[in-house]
Amino acid sequence: MSKVAAIINNIDEAKNIQNYIDAYLVPLKDLSINYIHTFILEEIIEIKKLNKEIFVIINKNIHNNELNNLEKTLKEIEKLNINGIIFYDIALVNLKQKLNLKTPLVWNQEHLTTNYGTVNYWYNKGIEYAYLSSELTKREIDEIKNNTKAKLFVNVFGYIPMFTSRRHLVKNYLDTFNLKSKNQNSIRKEGKTYPISDTDLGTTVYSNYILNATSVDLKNIDYLVFNSNFIDEKDFKEVLKKHKDKKENKFPIETGFLYSETIYKVK
Amino acid sequence: MKKPELLAPAGDLERLKIALLYGADAVYIGGAFNLRANADNFKLEEIKEGVDYAHKLNKKVYVTVNIAMHNKEYEKVKDYLLKLDEIDVDAIIVSDPAIIELTKNTNLEIHLSTQASTLNKEAIEFWKKEGVTRIVLARECSKEDIVDIKNNINIELEVFIHGAMCASYSGRCVLSNFLTNRDSNRGGCSQICRWDFDLYDENKHLEGEKPFTFCTKDLSMANHIPELINMEVDSLKIEGRMRSIYYIATVVKIYRKLIDDYCHNSKNYEYNLTYERILRRVANRDSITQFFDGNFGKDVQYYNGRQEITNQDFLGIVLEYDEKTKLAKLEQRNYFKKGDKVEIFGPDKDFKFTIDKIYDEDKNPIEIVRHPKQIIYLKVPKKVSVNDMMKIC
Repeated sequence: MSKVAAIINNIDEAKNIQNYIDAYLVPLKDLSINYIHTFILEEIIEIKKLNKEIFVIINKNIHNNELNNLEKTLKEIEKLNINGIIFYDIALVNLKQKLNLKTPLVWNQEHLTTNYGTVNYWYNKGIEYAYLSSELTKREIDEIKNNTKAKLFVNVFGYIPMFTSRRHLVKNYLDTFNLKSKNQNSIRKEGKTYPISDTDLGTTVYSNYILNATSVDLKNIDYLVFNSNFIDEKDFKEVLKKHKDKKENKFPIETGFLYSETIYKVK
Repeated sequence: MKKPELLAPAGDLERLKIALLYGADAVYIGGAFNLRANADNFKLEEIKEGVDYAHKLNKKVYVTVNIAMHNKEYEKVKDYLLKLDEIDVDAIIVSDPAIIELTKNTNLEIHLSTQASTLNKEAIEFWKKEGVTRIVLARECSKEDIVDIKNNINIELEVFIHGAMCASYSGRCVLSNFLTNRDSNRGGCSQICRWDFDLYDENKHLEGEKPFTFCTKDLSMANHIPELINMEVDSLKIEGRMRSIYYIATVVKIYRKLIDDYCHNSKNYEYNLTYERILRRVANRDSITQFFDGNFGKDVQYYNGRQEITNQDFLGIVLEYDEKTKLAKLEQRNYFKKGDKVEIFGPDKDFKFTIDKIYDEDKNPIEIVRHPKQIIYLKVPKKVSVNDMMKIC
C-alpha cells in the first residue's frame, strides 16, 4: 500500500491534513524552486512535531557561490533526523559522501528521472529513493518498480512544473515594456492558461491542468505525492480525505502522461 | 600558452568535413539517442567515415548520446555504445549516468553533457571520481564560476562560446511534452520557448509592444576569447548541429582566427571588429555574452515578434576549379547575377570581385543564377579550391 506524501504551503495546512497523510515534502528557503512557499529550518522542526515522515526538498540547481550555504544547511538538516532530502543537484551526493552525512537522499532530477537503469545507478551509490518524472507512462513506472529495489515517489495530484529558468522572464518583460504586475501571473496560448512564477531564484512555468491521477492503480508505488501549489487549502484537504476514503475528488480526472506516450521523432 | 580546442557542431558528414576543413579541432555529432532526433543524424557507417576522416587530420569526433533515456532506450543503448567503441570515437557526450556504468569495460571517454546542468565544483568532483574526463559546463556559469572550478578541480572544461541558448536550465524544460506531445529531453524539442504567449496578471493582459516570449538572445563570446584562453578552458564549443554549412564554415573560421591571433601574439592582440560584424551577419540574431558576465536582466531577452529574416548571403559552394580557364564550378545556394559584388572565402583565403562571366552547366553564357542548387561556371580572378564558398559582399 502506498504512503501519501503532501507538499504543503504552511504549517497550519500541515496540521490540518495530518490525519490523511504519511509524509510531508517540505521545500527549503533559498534552496528550492518550483514551489509557491518555502520553509526555514525552524519551521521544519515545528512540522516534525506532527510525527510524520519528513523529506526536505533541495531541488534548485546549485551555483558555485551557493555551496557554502548548502554545506552549512546540510549539516543543520543532519541534526533534525528527518527521513530524507529530495535533491536535484549532484553536489548533494558529493557533500553527503565527504561530510559522511546519514540523512538519506531522494534522487529527483525532475524530468530526467526516467529509467530503471539510472535509478539503479543511484541506488548502487547509496541513494535509496527515486522521485520519478511526471512525463512517464504508467507502464514505464511499473517497469521501473519491477526492476529496482529503490523506493519510489510518483506525482498524482497538483500542477506540474514544466519549465525552470535562472532568468527572470516575467520581470524582464515588465521592465522592457514598462509594465506593472501584482505577480499573480499566467501565460495564455490557444485557450490554455499556464501559471508562471518569477522569484529571486528564477522563473517556473506550470502545467495548464491539475494532475488528478488519484484513482490510477499505483498501489505498488511507495509514495504518492499530492502537491498543494495553487490549490485552495480546503480543496486540498478534501482531495486527501477522499483519497483516504477511496473516493473520487471533485477535480476532473487528468492522468497527464500516464496513458499518453510522448513522441520525439516526427519524420 | 595552452591553445584550447575549437569544437564545432556537425549535423552530417558534409558539415563534419567543412567544420574540420575550416579550422575546428574537433566536431560533435549525433547518432542514435541524441537530442536532435529530427536532424539528419549519423548512421554508424557514417560515424565511422567521419571518425576515419578526422583521425587522418589528427582531429577528433565526439558523439552525443545525451537523451534522458526511458526504459526502452536504456535497454537498447548498450549495443550502440559497444559499436561506438569499436568505431574508436574520441568520446561520447552523455547526460545520463547509467551510461557510465554501461561503458565500464570499453575505451569510451565520457564527457558530461551540458544537459546535466553542471554548475559547481562539488558536482564536478563527484563526476571526476566516476571517471568523467570532461564537463560541458552549464550555460549559466559565470566567469568567476569557471575560474573557481578550474582552480580547484583538475578536469577538462568545455564552455559554449557561440550560438543559441536554452531559456531554461538545460534539462529542466518539458514545454514541448506538454504543448506538442514531443519529448524535449529525448530529442523532440519543438522550441516552444520561441513561441509568443499572452502574459496576464490575474485577468489583466500585460501587453507590451512585442508579445511575451521565453526567447533569449544568442550567445557570442568573440570578444572574450583571450579571457577564456587565459582561464585555461580546454574546449570552446560552438552550438548548432542543425545549422548550414555556410554558418558552420563562417563561424568556425572566425573563431579559429580569434584563437590563433591571440595565441600567436597575445601582447599585441587587438579584437578585430570585422570578425564580430561577420558573426552578427551570419547568425542574423542579436547575441550577447549572457551569464559569463553575470548578466541575465532584461537585455538578454529577444522580443522580436517572430519576424526573423532568412539570411541569403550564401551564394554558392565551389565544386571544382580549372587553373587554365580560371573557371570555378559552383553549386548555387541563393540568387546572384552578373555585375554583383561578391566575396570568395575558404579556410585560408578571402577575396572580393565583381562577377563578370557566368556560364551554365553546358558552358553557355548566362546572366542570372536563380535556381536552387543550379550548377554553373564562374570566372574568378584568383585560384579557388573545392569547398570554398561565395557570399554577398
